[in-house]
Amino acid sequence: MAEPLAPAASHDHDHKPHGWRRWVYATNHKDIGTMYLVFACTMFFIGGFMAMLIRLELFKPGLQFFDPQFFNSMTTMHALIMIFGAVMPAWTGLANWMIPMQIGAPDMALPRLNNFSFWILPFAFTLLLSSLFVPGGAPAGGWTMYPPLVLQTGASFPMLIFSIHLMGASSILGAINVIVTIVNMRTPGMTLLRMPLFVWTWLITAYLLIAVMPVLAGAVTMLLTDHFFGTTFFTAAGGGDPVMFQHIFWFFGHPEVYILILPAFGIISEVIPTFSRKPLFGYEAMVYAVASIAFLSFIVWAHHMFTVGMPLAAQLFFMLSTMLIAVPTGVKVFNWTATMWKGSLSFEPPMLFALAFLFLFTIGGFSGLMLAIVPADYQYQDTYFVVAHFHYVLVPGAVFGIMAGVYYWLPKWIGRMYDLKLATWHFWLSAIFVNVLFFPQHFLGLAGMPRRIPDYAVQFTDWNMVSSIGAFGFGLAQLLFPYIIWKCVRSGERVGKKAWEGAHGLEWELPSPPPYHSWTTPPSDAVIARGAEH
Amino acid sequence: MQPHTSTAPAAPSAEDPRRRRIRRSALLLALIAAALYVGFIVMTVVRGWQ
Repeated sequence: MAEPLAPAASHDHDHKPHGWRRWVYATNHKDIGTMYLVFACTMFFIGGFMAMLIRLELFKPGLQFFDPQFFNSMTTMHALIMIFGAVMPAWTGLANWMIPMQIGAPDMALPRLNNFSFWILPFAFTLLLSSLFVPGGAPAGGWTMYPPLVLQTGASFPMLIFSIHLMGASSILGAINVIVTIVNMRTPGMTLLRMPLFVWTWLITAYLLIAVMPVLAGAVTMLLTDHFFGTTFFTAAGGGDPVMFQHIFWFFGHPEVYILILPAFGIISEVIPTFSRKPLFGYEAMVYAVASIAFLSFIVWAHHMFTVGMPLAAQLFFMLSTMLIAVPTGVKVFNWTATMWKGSLSFEPPMLFALAFLFLFTIGGFSGLMLAIVPADYQYQDTYFVVAHFHYVLVPGAVFGIMAGVYYWLPKWIGRMYDLKLATWHFWLSAIFVNVLFFPQHFLGLAGMPRRIPDYAVQFTDWNMVSSIGAFGFGLAQLLFPYIIWKCVRSGERVGKKAWEGAHGLEWELPSPPPYHSWTTPPSDAVIARGAEH
Repeated sequence: MQPHTSTAPAAPSAEDPRRRRIRRSALLLALIAAALYVGFIVMTVVRGWQ
């Protein structure tokens, strides 16, 4: 357990540089958190623009606007940008902003490392995006980078591999910082089981990151040597095994899904009690459920590749272990619902996004159970049903979780309240259009429409048109988001330290906006106890 | 974590064990990450030889 901070140490970084130096040399957790969030928002719009191009092409059958190679580049780049450039940095931004404030620490444990792990990202994504302009175009073999297809990538191949190494390095360094901060910097009295759920989910996420990002790095290093140095790790002609890549990739890939969603569980566990004006139901059960989900994520990877062929025993194992994830997830959904039971509910934007998360993420989870069933998966594999499934998990799941978090803590960060009416509009437009966009894709998949194709048979036209209209509506609705933040910064009504009447937690004991260094004097035990009323 | 703008003496000794713990745990986590990176490559090499 951490000792109280010595006064001299707490002022180590208590200078506030101005101009560009404040950002380039930033070591303050709030400044770095802001940079992560701005970066993630930028990438969200770039990746979103690519999604619009994909849906534009798919509005009608036949090739309308793009050649198939460019279409495949768009699906590949959209996924890479949204996963590594938008959702993951958004979580790291929220972690940077909130973890020190929630555990009573003045900053992250390793501020310079924090700066370094952020500034790697713009270089990684500039490199990745610039591959759009090299001969042969951007990578087009899918974000899963399966060999031998990915080994046919042109000049952009080393750019892809190097940018993934950089993203991985950034994530690992960020995860180290989060773990070290939570383990060593908690204020006295902030025991593990007093920590807010957002801190808990991030602690577990950070362990997942350290366990699996090096695995991805190893896999892409072997792709690189296969491509340039004559090795044959994954080349059958030289005695290698392409299926081995799939095993290694999904050993990373499935925990990665939980890396994208676990912090959302933390945020929903903060938002629902606040707007239900009740403590979270089953706090400890929630912690154990998150830990169980994280553990199970390591033993389910082969459900992504049932169709490559594997022994019956392996199929049964991976099917049953996947289904087992429904148990801790069910515990969480039950506890969120039980928290609301007989609560004094109100429906401000963070709560609306949290409720939509609850309903729509459950749809994504349920279609995941369907995909876990081996014989059914043989039918669903590589169809739009899979696309619908993971988008339900990642958009109304991870993205709505981020929206809930930003709308929840924005008044704390800025010291001003945003336009609640406009944010409610943002919510309803997003919630309606996200379903118009993704729900029809279940029907398309069940009818047999394959994923990652720019053209399709005419019987799929109607639902593709509906889906594309949903995409354009969803995309346009997101433009409200930066406008709401800009308006809040410029002219929002000032708020006190507790922007939401039902909020608990150490962050709400600080002024709004919080001082440059949050807890230079550790909070008293009474304050910690008040904040820990889960 | 050195002061940039102050000539104040070094942080009191109460801070030192924590600094050591921070450095040690960060290095340990970095080593685990490096071991996983190398380990998975070695595992694939070994499997290729079999």
